[in-house]
Amino acid sequence: MATQQVETGAAGHGAEPRGKRSDDGQATYLIAVAEALWEEMERDERVFMLGEDIGVYGGAFKVTEGFLDRFGPERVIDTPIAEETIVGMAVGAAMEGYRPVAEFQYADFMSSGFDEITTVLSRYYYRSGVPMPVVLRGPSGGGVRASNFHSVNPEPWFAYAGGIKIMCPAFPSDAKGLLKSAIRDDNPSLFLEHKALYRRIKEQVPEDPSVLVPISSADVKRAGEDVTIVTYGAMVHKALEAAETLATRGVSVEVVDLRTVYPMDEDTVLRSIEKTSRALVLYESFHFLGIGAEVASVIAERAFEHLDAPVMRLAPPNHPVPFSPPLEDAFLPQVADIEAAVDRLSAW
Amino acid sequence: MTSIQMPQLGETIVEGTILKWLKTEGEHVDQDEPLFEISTDKVDTEVPSPVAGTVTKLLVDEGATVPVGTAVMEIDDGTGGNGAAGSASSAGDGAAEGSTGVTSSSASAAAPVGTPPTTPTPASASAPAPPAAAPLSAPPPQAVATQTPPPAAPAPSGAGAYTPLVDRGPRSQILSPIVRRLAKERGVDLTGVVGSGDGGRITKADVLAATAGGAPSAGTATVTALPTAGPSAAVATHPSVPAGANEDVAPMSHIRSAIAQHMLASTTQTARAWTMVEVNVERLVRLREAAKASFQEKYGVKLTYLPMVTRATVDALREYALVNSRIVGTDIVTPRFVHMGIAVSYDAGLIVPVIKGVDAMNTVGIARAIADLAARARAHQLQPDEVQGATFTITNPGPYGSLASVPIINEPNAGILSLDAIQKRPVVVEEDAIAVRHMVYISMSWDHRLIDGELATRFLARVKHNLETWDFAEDLGL
Amino acid sequence: MATTLRSDAAANDQPLADDQLRQMLATMKLARYVDERLEALYRQGRLPGAIYSGRGQEGTHVGVVSALRPGDSLFPTHRDLTAQLAKGLDLNRVLAQFWGRIDGYLRGRDGNSHIGDWDGNRTYAVMSHLPIAYPVAVGAAWAYQRAGDGRVALAICGDGATSNGRWHEAINWSSVERLPVVWVVNNNQFAYSTPNEKEFAVPTIAERGAAYGIPGVRVDGTDVLEVYRAAREAVDRARGGGGPSLIESVSLRWRGHAGHDPAKYVPGELLDHYTSSKDPVMNFEQHLRQLGLVDDDALAEMQREIEQRFEEAHAFALGSPFPEAGDVNKGMWVEDGYWRAEPGRGGGTEAS
Repeated sequence: MATQQVETGAAGHGAEPRGKRSDDGQATYLIAVAEALWEEMERDERVFMLGEDIGVYGGAFKVTEGFLDRFGPERVIDTPIAEETIVGMAVGAAMEGYRPVAEFQYADFMSSGFDEITTVLSRYYYRSGVPMPVVLRGPSGGGVRASNFHSVNPEPWFAYAGGIKIMCPAFPSDAKGLLKSAIRDDNPSLFLEHKALYRRIKEQVPEDPSVLVPISSADVKRAGEDVTIVTYGAMVHKALEAAETLATRGVSVEVVDLRTVYPMDEDTVLRSIEKTSRALVLYESFHFLGIGAEVASVIAERAFEHLDAPVMRLAPPNHPVPFSPPLEDAFLPQVADIEAAVDRLSAW
Repeated sequence: MTSIQMPQLGETIVEGTILKWLKTEGEHVDQDEPLFEISTDKVDTEVPSPVAGTVTKLLVDEGATVPVGTAVMEIDDGTGGNGAAGSASSAGDGAAEGSTGVTSSSASAAAPVGTPPTTPTPASASAPAPPAAAPLSAPPPQAVATQTPPPAAPAPSGAGAYTPLVDRGPRSQILSPIVRRLAKERGVDLTGVVGSGDGGRITKADVLAATAGGAPSAGTATVTALPTAGPSAAVATHPSVPAGANEDVAPMSHIRSAIAQHMLASTTQTARAWTMVEVNVERLVRLREAAKASFQEKYGVKLTYLPMVTRATVDALREYALVNSRIVGTDIVTPRFVHMGIAVSYDAGLIVPVIKGVDAMNTVGIARAIADLAARARAHQLQPDEVQGATFTITNPGPYGSLASVPIINEPNAGILSLDAIQKRPVVVEEDAIAVRHMVYISMSWDHRLIDGELATRFLARVKHNLETWDFAEDLGL
Repeated sequence: MATTLRSDAAANDQPLADDQLRQMLATMKLARYVDERLEALYRQGRLPGAIYSGRGQEGTHVGVVSALRPGDSLFPTHRDLTAQLAKGLDLNRVLAQFWGRIDGYLRGRDGNSHIGDWDGNRTYAVMSHLPIAYPVAVGAAWAYQRAGDGRVALAICGDGATSNGRWHEAINWSSVERLPVVWVVNNNQFAYSTPNEKEFAVPTIAERGAAYGIPGVRVDGTDVLEVYRAAREAVDRARGGGGPSLIESVSLRWRGHAGHDPAKYVPGELLDHYTSSKDPVMNFEQHLRQLGLVDDDALAEMQREIEQRFEEAHAFALGSPFPEAGDVNKGMWVEDGYWRAEPGRGGGTEAS
């Protein structure tokens, strides 16, 4: 399919995401996501987008602002409130050769399409060999006082289904590169964008549309010697903050950002544990059966001989995300909690 | 050509440091002439040559620490063969779990170090009762539990005898997977590693430090002179204060760090109490004043108060045998003999040579033994067996001026007696008169786990009684 | 029962050629025979898994599929094996599927009537959740609309599935977008043990079309030509850009929900009425006899061929190896290449 290069600021492209970077060229996480979508839409005509309020309104978080004008209503589709059919429609279109990207206004509404995701999307290929290059994406995560219907981390629900690759990037460059990879991948993907990071994090993001971040590759965001924190999503930033403080106390923390939670890059994680021999698995999905429960198991199974202390986990409990600020703050792991956990782990 | 190897100076020793070459390449050496000085955790000593010949090669640098059995020097002795000498030939594997002391040390007739003890030293028998019990081939019953204190260090015979970890804290028996693995890969004897982790746990860092080689560092010294409870883990440590610009830094010697660990271990592992008596030594002082010249002439050694106090103490130890005993697991082991440790201060710090069988000696013999041991201690010529096996210890800081001291028990003893400065003091004598007499405070630090206050006091009272009532003249052969 | 709403086409309108009519009969007879034989094998314990009989509904199944062109896609449910056979699935591979063999359409990864051949015949591999394929049909229809290639999607579900939210979501969406899709409800009057009056409160399913702004037609599902006419009209409408239609095709489920179900909840009189006078196969056979398109010899020959065809397919299925156990974890991701390669045939077999 034709790939068109569009110059920044070219006539008629004022709404393009790249035009929304800050003056120093940095892009927020949200703009990075928008750039990825825009570039892939330009690169491959088979790519199209569907979701509630993504066209005329530009998306609840304005990720898709300007897309309708540029790509037209056939490729930027405003859908009814019918999550099962959003997914099913994407599946049917994919079976006929398209590459749909379905937006869920909040990741919380993915459960409204649970059956189509876990019964159809995750299983069809294994049963029949018909590829489903479908991307489901949406804002997930808490810490923004959005309460329990707008703060979910749904990745464990769908990791369990098998057959869907699940990505939870923490940084804008990772978000852009990973989303592009997901769209180009022939397998179903679930791309979760942590809403707390949308506008709070920005950095230099590659402009070259061919730059990709590989799926299932973890990244060491901070090198250290004494303790490894394995984490993903918004928790990566809290881990890095905790690592700074711990460094002043002589504890050297290595932070491994999973980036893709399923299938997970076990090797990068295990290499880190070989180095430090102490592991703290930090995750925002619930403690029981959350992603970190699996990470901890893998470490215990495969890095047992390298461990100098039991594998430790830090995650919120399995109940709804509360609303009132002191409740939500107590619910989510905070930087102080991470430091305390690292201290306990170091002292074991 | 004869190859000289790093000897194994005592069981559980796995390495030694060449402190100083005493011969250079090309130099002639006679048989028994010292070749080099070595330092181990037990003792610093010289290694004499098994043969006469010419030193052809020095294979190791001064200051280097090498495993037992490593060839360190070659001597051309005129023989054609490649004879390996050195007591550690059969104990060459650095990871030996301390069970080869006797057999290895008897391998080479020419090697003076590590001469086999004729009886197993009591402290190193792992069976609680008869020390001549058969060498262990199975773990002693209480050795495997992680929390109960294990019995004494292994029998010196029987390769493969089980070596339980020494109890150095409630978590010292917890071995994490990486610790086990590194220890196995690198041949580290974990019985010799001090755990810096919580509760005495051996951490990965501890094992890595133990294999770093080169200069010893605090907390990684292998088991030292004390054959049973070794250095205990540091419990809650204060963060160390790094050296500043206007400060000098020097690494701790083997001996120094060994002393540090012993003292800490003893302090944390014994229930130390202290009792003091005041002894009227007027008669002793007069006797010594009168006899010292002839004593010196007759026996060639100085007469000090220490031998007399030692003699008096030995008697008390025979009377109150519990003070001569030690704890092994949940048993009390009571020797039927006394080996007296005498604390000697020397340039490297503190060392405690042991008068074996002191209960069979009179005061003259004790005086000779003390003089000999002290002299050789100061000359770094003590043998490993001469610094272990004490059943009781005496320290004598008196000559330096202290009036009373609270010494630290020399584990695994039940007590340590301190002989402090003799001073003329006004005292109340018969019929409530005041007189000036030579008095001395004699005190004992004692382990309340084993001994109670009444016994400790009676013991000291007996020592006092002996010193105040005995006529030492006959015992001195004067 | 409510008034039957008939399609506008005249009863004697014959848009199909003679050969096509004969072929339809042959297909219906084959499907009937397959249904009977599979039931027998199941009851003899010689058929693994479950069977979901479509006996008595051949009019619906063959009627709607006959209205499709090659390239159109079919989204059936578990009871629609007849429709899939009509669409063109190979009985060899169908039976291999039932016996879990590597030559089945899904390489043993799914069983019995959970069958489909997307690449060869554009049939969606059946899933048990009802009506989980309806939203997918929306997607396929959207693709046809976007491409403007005139293709049509046709989805079949049962009367029970019309209670499910997905049914309404999909029909609603298709209407909003005027997608080229035909929504067929095989109303065989019982959803497992639940009769119509417990599934919906309106008299007919067809009239629900009005709620979505689409035409709704109720036809006699035992009359294959009546079904065909309604389906043809709906398909043509969709193909011409006229948007979706709803067809309620009424018949009776002659057998239980599945092979184990004796279906005692079906009133005996009702069942007798349908099996005696509303047998779609017999009635169509009768109709073609009357048209002079078949006679006894032709029918005998047809039957012989059908029986032979089944025996061949049965032997093929039992002669096909099982999938290799070591491949169980392959085929999760496109990149592992399992589905692109020929299936491994070393998994052993067993004689019938």
